[in-house]
Amino acid sequence: MKQVGEKKTMTDEFILEVQDLKKYFKAGRPGWFSRGENFIHAVDDVSLKLKRGEVVALVGESGCGKSTLSLTLMGLEEATEGTILFEGNDITHLNDRERKSLRQRIQMIFQDPYESLNPTQTIEEIVSEPLVVHGLAPSLDERRERVRRALEDAGLKPAESYMQRFPHQLSGGQRQRVVIAGALVLEPHLLLADEPVSMLDVSIRAEIINLLADLRQSRGISVIFITHDLGTVGYFADRVAVMYLGRIVEIGKMIEVLESPQHPYSQALLSVIPVPNPRLRKKRVILQGETPNPIDLPTGCRFHPRCPVAIERCKSIDPQLIELSETHRAACILLAK
Amino acid sequence: MAFQTVEIKPAVPSSPLLGFWRIFSKNRMAVVGLVMLVVSIVVAVFAPLITPYDPQTSAGLTSGDIYNPPSAEHWLGTDDAGKDVFSSFIYGSRVSLIVGFFAAFISIVIGGVIGIVAGYYGGRLENLLMRFTDLLLVIPDLPLIVVIVALTKPSLFNIIFVIGILGWTTTARIVRSQTLAVKSRKFVLRARAIGAGNRHIIIHHVLPLVLPLLVVNAILVISLAILNESTLSFLGLGDPTAISWGQMLNFAFGRGAMSAGAWWALATPGFGIVWVVLALTLLGHGLEQVLNPRLESHHLMPGRLTVQSEAEVESTEKARRRESPVLLDVRNLSVQFVNNGTVAQAVQDVSFQLHEGEMMGLVGESGCGKTTLIMALNRLLPASGQISNGHVYFHGKDIASASEEELADVRWSGISIVFQGAMNALNPVRTVGDQIREAIVKHIPTMTPDQVDKRIVELLELVGITADHKDHFPHQYSGGMRQRAMIAMALSCNPQVVIADEPTTALDVMIQAQILELLDALRKRLGLAIIFVTHDLGVVAEMCDSVLVMYGGVTAEHADVDTIYNAPRHPYTQELLKAFPDLSQPEKRLVSIPGYPPKLDALPAGCRFAPRCPLAFERCLVEMPKQYELPGHHIASCHLVES
Amino acid sequence: MNRYQFLWKKIAWALFTILFVVVLNFFLFRILPGDPVRSGTRDPRLKKDAQEALRIRFGLDKPVIPCFETLNPIKPGDCAVNPFETQFFLYLRNLTQGELGYSFHTNRPVADVLGERLWNTILLIGAGQLLSIVIGVLFGMFAAWKARTSIDYGALITGLVAWSLPTFWLGIILLFWGSNNGFPIGGKATPGISSFPFLYQAGDVFKHMILPTITYTIVYMGEYLLVMRSSLLDVLAEDYILTAKAKGLTTFQILKDHALKNAMLPIVTIIAINLGFTVAGAIQIESVYSWPGLGGAVYEALERRDYPVLQGVFLLIAVSVVLANLIADLTYSFLDPRVQAD
Repeated sequence: MKQVGEKKTMTDEFILEVQDLKKYFKAGRPGWFSRGENFIHAVDDVSLKLKRGEVVALVGESGCGKSTLSLTLMGLEEATEGTILFEGNDITHLNDRERKSLRQRIQMIFQDPYESLNPTQTIEEIVSEPLVVHGLAPSLDERRERVRRALEDAGLKPAESYMQRFPHQLSGGQRQRVVIAGALVLEPHLLLADEPVSMLDVSIRAEIINLLADLRQSRGISVIFITHDLGTVGYFADRVAVMYLGRIVEIGKMIEVLESPQHPYSQALLSVIPVPNPRLRKKRVILQGETPNPIDLPTGCRFHPRCPVAIERCKSIDPQLIELSETHRAACILLAK
Repeated sequence: MAFQTVEIKPAVPSSPLLGFWRIFSKNRMAVVGLVMLVVSIVVAVFAPLITPYDPQTSAGLTSGDIYNPPSAEHWLGTDDAGKDVFSSFIYGSRVSLIVGFFAAFISIVIGGVIGIVAGYYGGRLENLLMRFTDLLLVIPDLPLIVVIVALTKPSLFNIIFVIGILGWTTTARIVRSQTLAVKSRKFVLRARAIGAGNRHIIIHHVLPLVLPLLVVNAILVISLAILNESTLSFLGLGDPTAISWGQMLNFAFGRGAMSAGAWWALATPGFGIVWVVLALTLLGHGLEQVLNPRLESHHLMPGRLTVQSEAEVESTEKARRRESPVLLDVRNLSVQFVNNGTVAQAVQDVSFQLHEGEMMGLVGESGCGKTTLIMALNRLLPASGQISNGHVYFHGKDIASASEEELADVRWSGISIVFQGAMNALNPVRTVGDQIREAIVKHIPTMTPDQVDKRIVELLELVGITADHKDHFPHQYSGGMRQRAMIAMALSCNPQVVIADEPTTALDVMIQAQILELLDALRKRLGLAIIFVTHDLGVVAEMCDSVLVMYGGVTAEHADVDTIYNAPRHPYTQELLKAFPDLSQPEKRLVSIPGYPPKLDALPAGCRFAPRCPLAFERCLVEMPKQYELPGHHIASCHLVES
Repeated sequence: MNRYQFLWKKIAWALFTILFVVVLNFFLFRILPGDPVRSGTRDPRLKKDAQEALRIRFGLDKPVIPCFETLNPIKPGDCAVNPFETQFFLYLRNLTQGELGYSFHTNRPVADVLGERLWNTILLIGAGQLLSIVIGVLFGMFAAWKARTSIDYGALITGLVAWSLPTFWLGIILLFWGSNNGFPIGGKATPGISSFPFLYQAGDVFKHMILPTITYTIVYMGEYLLVMRSSLLDVLAEDYILTAKAKGLTTFQILKDHALKNAMLPIVTIIAINLGFTVAGAIQIESVYSWPGLGGAVYEALERRDYPVLQGVFLLIAVSVVLANLIADLTYSFLDPRVQAD
């Protein structure tokens, strides 16, 4: 992405600006016997901007870095390089106190509602925990009132009948609503949703997605929605970013990417998502092999060893995102004119 | 292979503590242990009220009073100094319990703190602490305790201190690994995400989940401390001023009780030790069962025999749907689970025919009986499961009533299974090639070892795995490769029917596409009939010829794939399709089905889908619909179809 | 990590542990109030010249350890500038020459005393361990296979009771019963038996071994039974057992080829950890049956305050346990292919 004329004055429009973000992990423990150090390039040079009230879907296979990206944005992992601006402030490196106060404005929803609730706490304890941690609503009545509101906003009505229950007494969908209530109670501006429906039965996925869509309408929350299944968020997300091996390879409006994906990886990824209509059996582009490990990255374009249309130059040139339209970009040298 | 969906769970308790007590009180072992422990504590506390003599004095002693057998005066006789054994025995409980509880307290505190700190903070601190723990762990406990106590002045305080300070190593290890496990759970990440600090997380999230384990471990540590104390006292290292069971034995053994035939002086103190230690052991073991319940059954328990509750009826599918011959003919199959006298109907009256070369999709939400149904086809139900009616004809033979020997022949060479989660379905300590070999040797005994080797390589290459991976272990394979290996294994004995139980769940979309393509190619090449179990309606639409939709253990709808997707008649099928995302219509707002599938031990009286059905009317609530046959070999169980 | 790296890492760790034990053994017997060597040299039972010889041999005229600034756990100021002129160095040097000091009681070299007794203990522990492992594992397997039947509950209760028995007490009770039923009342051989033919002697030793071995077997069998039972129960509930069943293998084949090896893994660890406890058991059993082994030596040394023997036994026991642990670790890595991947 060319970084021309990006000015700080734009920050009012954007809630989040990510610039050249990198997150590397050391691979293995350097012991007595292993020589040198290797790095896992989990997130490698990612830039992304999110408007207020916008929903962006991050798509990719496991190991593409989408979860690490969300943890880094959340400050649960420290960025190796790059900057993250949130509401105009640099939040890349913060001390504990600053980080804590930021947590009120960025919240996260996790993949597995069975795992993300402490089985020994009641629903009320779970949802009020953020308030207690931040010292908000010190009086019990006030706290209870905010918990009640959060639960009802998350669709658990009447809230009173849920507050004294334990997670194991709820269904998967209800638990995910509790997780959402626990995030809402702090009234965040940005919500990071890490595969929030992939563990749920198909029949109840829609209710969670619809809930998030409603919350975005009513509260103007921005959402980064991490998923491997584009179908689920099709109507909900405004834009989509496709990730491969730590990079964004294509980003654009949802409809643009779904209807005319430009990067060969996006094309393959979309072609293999099954469509529930036997009359629409389509040609699938099945990539062979598996995603290479993010320690020894391929030279040139990271996708070239599996790319069905790769040419000789792909082995040496690492492509940058190329602007295809005002909203649509993809990183492939074949697209350069 | 998710059988837990059909396990009958006890009524949900309102709080963990109450729930704990409810299960605890049902565990006979734990209750007996607790009662025995309470008895010994009561005896120790009220020792002066119970004992007829002062154990310290032996007033009015003559030589005739030594080693007197039990009498009305001395219930358990007298010892080497003419003292009352019963009184000493009662008082001895005090030392055992005091040493046990105090030493264990020291150990648990040290071990608990070290374990939590090491597990939670990790890094270099953890390394240091755990290395230190490992060091102490290999140094034999008792000899070290003996040496230290022998070198210091033997007093109760020293004994407690030494046993306590050396007994924490196992606790530290257990607590550390539990802390690590808790720390990796998502709710800790969630707590960090809301901004909670380490102290808050340790107190509110780690400790409550480590505590149960710590309690079980504490009980073990107490019993070990008691055994150690008695051994020390027996070796003559006890506190000379306190009466303990070990010391009583030391005196009796060392001062001629053996030759005097004074069994009472030898047996009594030991009985005390066994009583207390056994009480703790039973309690600890019972507690462990309560806190960490194992599955009620394992796979080698004898299965229940099939019963036939109704006379056989004609196949519901009267006409052939396809030209090819029928391979598997399932008629009115019902499966129930019997647990502690309660019966859960997991599958009821399911019929279908599978033709050669056909791929049938089996779909439905979790808990709808899909897994139970396919396990029943091969009689692989868990011990509590039972075919309660119906037949599974395979080559004219009824598998439902086959003997164990007949079953062993049909399994794998007739019907094989591609299990979901190949990581768990493959034995981790045997090579993949070896596990394939075993099936071939079992079912094709005529093959020579060389032929078998060649066949293994062929099979692996068939699924796209190179021969050099033959002697690798499952953990050396990637997720996609394991699933391919599972498929190779399933094909190894030339089966005619392959059951694929969610073979692509938990795999990435691209790997899923690879596996699906492979299955499809193999089916065409080998003429296999496949039952494809999945909850992914997209995969079914792309792969299958026919679809059986299950709900609450019954057939909701069964038809060819085009009918199911373009003209479904059962409201459940219709609702499922509305809930399923469709990339070809990205703007479509998805609609979820309100509510949840019924619990199999509390099925509704009428149609099982009625409580969630948008079209339900009165009749649906009281009368279960028949399986109506529609034109085009289309079956739907809905009252609306009748009219 | 490959196999060799794993191997070397384990061996290095074992060596470090042994070093730790050696150092611990030195300070234990010097820091603690008993101060055996010093009080030993003043033991009235020793002749003056013997006392002097001991003093020189242990270098008691020399400071305990080299100077590390002011850090001296023994006595501030009681340290040497030259590290080779210390008791600690002498102790290490003596150790490398197999010199463990002299018994206060018999005035014989401790190494000789322990050398004779080591074999007796190995005989007893070997027989007892072997029997308890075989019986415990077999019963544990059977119980797990027949889970939730009366066989299982019976085995479980037996295991728990056996685990709860104090070793020495079980020994006493068996000895009490045995002495009234024609069993020898202790020791390793009947006095005067050495003039009889070898087979006759061996039979005599065997007779003496029966009760101690039974005691040993009962006490340790309990734990093996419990561990094997729960380990096999876990394994039998694994998905790969269902796979094996679906492949049409018989119950026996599944147990033999799929369950046993996997279920044995925890047993290997337990056997190693148990060796520490085993020694504890040996002390108790050998004291009760006057078996002339290392455990018996501990009992006698305690009675006679024979500290050099105690120190020697402790060192020997600790080093053996460390080595046994090493062997168990290596066996485990051989049995479980996943270990090297970690």
